[in-house]
Amino acid sequence: MEDLLTQSTLVQLRVNGKLHELEVMPFTSLLDLLREELHLTGTHMGCMTGHCGACTVMVNGRIAKSCIVLASTLERAEITTIEGLRTADGKLHPVQQAFWDEAGFQCGYCAPGMLMSAVELLKENPNPDDAAIESGIAGTLCRCTGYRSIVRAVKAAAVRMNSPEA
Amino acid sequence: MSLYPLFARPRTVQQAAQVLESMSSGVVVIAGGQELMPHVNHGVLQPEVYVDINALADLKGIREDDGLVSIGALTVHRDTFSDPLVAEKLPLLVEAMKLIGGGRQVHNRATMGGNIVAMHPLYDVVPVLLTLEAQVEVVRGAETRRTSLKELMADPRHGLGSEAILIRVLVAPMAADAGFAYEKLKSSGGAYGSANAAVALTVADGVIASLRLVIGAVADRLVDASEALAFCIGQSWSDALASKVEHCCAGLIDQPLSDHQGDGEWRKAMAGVVAQRAMGRAVARAVAQEGR
Amino acid sequence: MPADKYVGQSVRTIEGRGPVTGTSKYTNDFAFPGQLYAFIVRSPHASAKIKRVDLSGALKVHGVVCAYDGAQVAEHLNPLTHYIDPGVFGGQSAELRAVAIDEVWCYGQPVAVVVADDRRVARYAASRIQIDYEPISPVLEIEDAIAPDARAVVPGWENNFIMRVPFRNGDPDGAFARADHVVSTTVRIHRFSTQPIETRCYNAVWEHDTESVTLYATAQNPHPMRYVLSQILRMPENKIRVIAPTIGGAFGVKMHGHPEESLICLMAKLTGRPVKWTETREECLLVGAREQRHDVQMAFTADGELIGLRDNFYANTGAPSACPGWGMAFLTGLTMPGPYKVRDIDVTMHAVATNKPAWNAARGYGKEATAIALELALDEAARELGFDPVELRMKNFIQSDQFPYPSPNGLMYDSGDYGGAVQKALAAIDYEGWRARQAEGIRDGKYIGIGIAYELTPEGGALPGTMVSGYDSSSVRIGPDGSVRVLTGVTTPGTGNPTGIAQIVADELGVALETIEVTQGDTTTCPYGFGNYSGRSTIVGGGSAALAAQELRVKVIKVAAALFGVEVEQVELHRGIFSVVGDPARTLTFKEVSYASYTRAYDVASCIMPPLEATATFKPSSIRHTPDENGHINPYPSYSNAAYVAVCEVDVATGKTNLLRFAAAHDCGRVINPVLVEGQACGAVGFGVGGLLFEDIRFDSSGRQLTRGFMDYVMPRCEDIPEIRMVHHDSPNPDTYMGLKGAGEAGVGGSAAAVANAINDALRPLGVALNQLPFSPSRVWGVIQAGTAAKQNIGEAA
Repeated sequence: MEDLLTQSTLVQLRVNGKLHELEVMPFTSLLDLLREELHLTGTHMGCMTGHCGACTVMVNGRIAKSCIVLASTLERAEITTIEGLRTADGKLHPVQQAFWDEAGFQCGYCAPGMLMSAVELLKENPNPDDAAIESGIAGTLCRCTGYRSIVRAVKAAAVRMNSPEA
Repeated sequence: MSLYPLFARPRTVQQAAQVLESMSSGVVVIAGGQELMPHVNHGVLQPEVYVDINALADLKGIREDDGLVSIGALTVHRDTFSDPLVAEKLPLLVEAMKLIGGGRQVHNRATMGGNIVAMHPLYDVVPVLLTLEAQVEVVRGAETRRTSLKELMADPRHGLGSEAILIRVLVAPMAADAGFAYEKLKSSGGAYGSANAAVALTVADGVIASLRLVIGAVADRLVDASEALAFCIGQSWSDALASKVEHCCAGLIDQPLSDHQGDGEWRKAMAGVVAQRAMGRAVARAVAQEGR
Repeated sequence: MPADKYVGQSVRTIEGRGPVTGTSKYTNDFAFPGQLYAFIVRSPHASAKIKRVDLSGALKVHGVVCAYDGAQVAEHLNPLTHYIDPGVFGGQSAELRAVAIDEVWCYGQPVAVVVADDRRVARYAASRIQIDYEPISPVLEIEDAIAPDARAVVPGWENNFIMRVPFRNGDPDGAFARADHVVSTTVRIHRFSTQPIETRCYNAVWEHDTESVTLYATAQNPHPMRYVLSQILRMPENKIRVIAPTIGGAFGVKMHGHPEESLICLMAKLTGRPVKWTETREECLLVGAREQRHDVQMAFTADGELIGLRDNFYANTGAPSACPGWGMAFLTGLTMPGPYKVRDIDVTMHAVATNKPAWNAARGYGKEATAIALELALDEAARELGFDPVELRMKNFIQSDQFPYPSPNGLMYDSGDYGGAVQKALAAIDYEGWRARQAEGIRDGKYIGIGIAYELTPEGGALPGTMVSGYDSSSVRIGPDGSVRVLTGVTTPGTGNPTGIAQIVADELGVALETIEVTQGDTTTCPYGFGNYSGRSTIVGGGSAALAAQELRVKVIKVAAALFGVEVEQVELHRGIFSVVGDPARTLTFKEVSYASYTRAYDVASCIMPPLEATATFKPSSIRHTPDENGHINPYPSYSNAAYVAVCEVDVATGKTNLLRFAAAHDCGRVINPVLVEGQACGAVGFGVGGLLFEDIRFDSSGRQLTRGFMDYVMPRCEDIPEIRMVHHDSPNPDTYMGLKGAGEAGVGGSAAAVANAINDALRPLGVALNQLPFSPSRVWGVIQAGTAAKQNIGEAA
């Protein structure tokens, strides 16, 4: 059985569309891998216990807190980080645009959590009411805003995404 | 404790079991990572070997198996509570799991197996599974064993997560006319539960015919109040019965937790409140079913 | 068509694009070649003698570069320089070391440091350090610290008072003697803190070419921090550069005085390599704030006039620290009696040292505690004496025609209309409607409560002899291409002040907002300034930038006039286009005029002196540090204030509060950008609600901190904050640029007190009330139970 045990392991990650083959140490969190190996520092560290959500990314189309995802368990995965939300031509995702226009954030440190949560929520529920937004962003802490501007921004994003031009 | 741990990614349950058996200590089984990683990140836990079970096909999927609902240990919460079979057969589980904290991110990653293996008194899944008298399938070495979850939890040497692997959970479908409720009291949106109660019951001719109720988050161990509440059988729901239930359930908690969520005296009292509220809702549901 | 002015409009922030795209660089996002990482070993004891530190185990670990104990660090570092030295004000100050030497005074105090080329290696190596402690029974609570036989937390101190200050005015004893009613209330405020989602981070780079250090830091006050570092590191300020990149929230905790600041610089100096330390959440939770006990007595006439106030209060400020946290207690006293016109007061502040970890500044800076103590005590009085809480406040507010109003402590309140703000807030929430619903609710067993509170928040403060200063400076630079750069001495923790300042400059200069870039937080490029605290950044940052912009406008108009060949009075400038009055066809662009200003210095532009750069200072004239005949100073130029109303329902079976609605009417003077100001106010409500209901830092009886992460330190989530109706009730400040008042600090205490009062209002039918924070479900339930038991006892006795 010893031949199964390795000191590092190979993962294939397609991050924001770009394929990376990486040999990772067993203990590395996805957060550290993204920030320190791939230099994608838009994903933030806030607690390392999975409570604050500032480290949120999308793993295989579903949002996750990257600080509590062990990178070595992602044998093959598709990752989208906050840097990957923009379209290839650099245009902001409607959720990003709405958060900026509506002053959704103040310091913006929680942005990975709020933006990713809103993207996933709006995919599932294009017209969320207050309660749906509250539970949709429940996994992310914001300390600046008292959340009301964030709710406003998610609603504005919904309107944009439902409009024919979007 | 090792600065440079090892990693294994077995492809079959048999391989995984062999890896675990060959190691004496310091092994952890990892799936979604939601339970383990906070401890790893803070150095509280420094495993020598990580065994990644994500490749094990036997631990995946939800299906009907010989009249039981089988939920693979690797099933993430979101897949469990949005599964049509689970929704139809185990609505109590759906109600409880939607209340699990941590947000969408955690619902997307945390697994059934991880939640059970954590054996955390504040968590929401196990009280429901105990209420529904779930069975679990566990592999240890060459042996595959099916046992009741209750029995497993009572065994201090269950070895789950380091020596043994939880394969799946098996739950008998709830009666179609069952009344059920999961009542969770938490201090705030981000708090863990301070007291919770899972109940499944049936009502016949307006009186309670059968009843299972488990209380969590108030003591180190979950409390199965079903036997103590036997006096409810044959009774119809009333304010007087509610207050008897409340009193009885609070009385079952002799060593309440006292932590950031609240002190022991309050915890004990809350055990009664959530039990009574859960039962009230469950009876109302059952009565509505009966009336149909 | 664009509105005429940017000021007053909710324009989108310039700096807001970075965070939504993930491209903003926060301190922890910087990494440099050869980067090393520091790990700090902390005391597991609240109070102990350090008998021996053995670093040898750590030094053997592969990857470790160095490890130091307190004595070794002290060879290189002077004692920490206080942000606000209590000794300057007649209090007791302690000699503080970055790393403890012989004794530890609190749980979590640094006792050793390890530097390695990997974070995990540093942490692992730290576990190999052996330290022998001899624990000493700790002094933890206020009552322990002030007992006559209490052990001094700091060896050599006479007692545990960092400072004791009486705030006495008029004839309080006479007022109490003639009062018809005296109401006594003990208000206890617990320990809770700010916890920005970005924790602290320092990355020090040793610049070999200039033998200087560059510190990338989560710093609110880069220039004052540079001074402090120079004193501790024994280096001149011109060998130190502090850069504060994008900050992920600060709220006071990123004001300096922390031991890690100089320690990390030292590690970079000693290793010659970049050294980074990133605070864990557990470490961030060590920083305390706010814990106070107030014994309030209010003297009333029969018709409810508040004629006398006594408040003997104690603040458990933890172990002495170089951070400015302890000063919060001073402000609590100075801000008494808030918005009320009572003049006969006898308030005594005690800043008490204990073996809990130290405080740092926390949004509100003690003024929140003034509001909590006064507003809870006023409601207690209203209940006891049978007054309506709104009416009782209305009767006792300073009236709008009394401004400028000298407070009994010598503060000069600039302006306000407190009664008007209350009326607006009540209207915003539909007060009458909720009173009706409350009455209906009680018939169905629903306990609805409505609470009001007022908060007066002196902002923009300046303390004589300290680096807490009231003025600030900005530079405005126009390039030959006509683009504008503003450099300020103030910084932003994410509040949007760079955009507010840019709006002001755009209007003053006459250019488009898009042509302005704002640079902050770099001690080498920005003019000297004091950074961000006390809601000052727009008042003094905006005010100084306006003055600099005005200076440059005069210059470019002169050059434009010369280019046009007309008198300066005939030149107009709007949104970057110069034109001639009465001849709109004749125009020049901002670029043309700027280019000419630089390149035609010897002919057409010789009317001005290049370059197009100006630096100006805004120094609010109303701050007065020369004591008046009563010995009072006025350290604040701005007195923002607000009324808060909360509606809640209490589940009396569980003690849990559900907030239903919230409203505030606030006066922060002239508003530059309404959406940003509302954002500040709503954020403060979040702090108040969280602190009042659930955030709590707890210790065991040996002084070990039990609250170590977000599992236990529960901050509000979205669902916990109700809809907030925010209305403006502005009275312009006569003493600042454009009538600005501070907006960043206000609201923590007022919102907490409104929720507390709402809960007590809901509990009123049960005949119980609570004046001890937090109002957690278990505590509210406990009060209800105690009340029920008391009633039963009365029943049995009868």
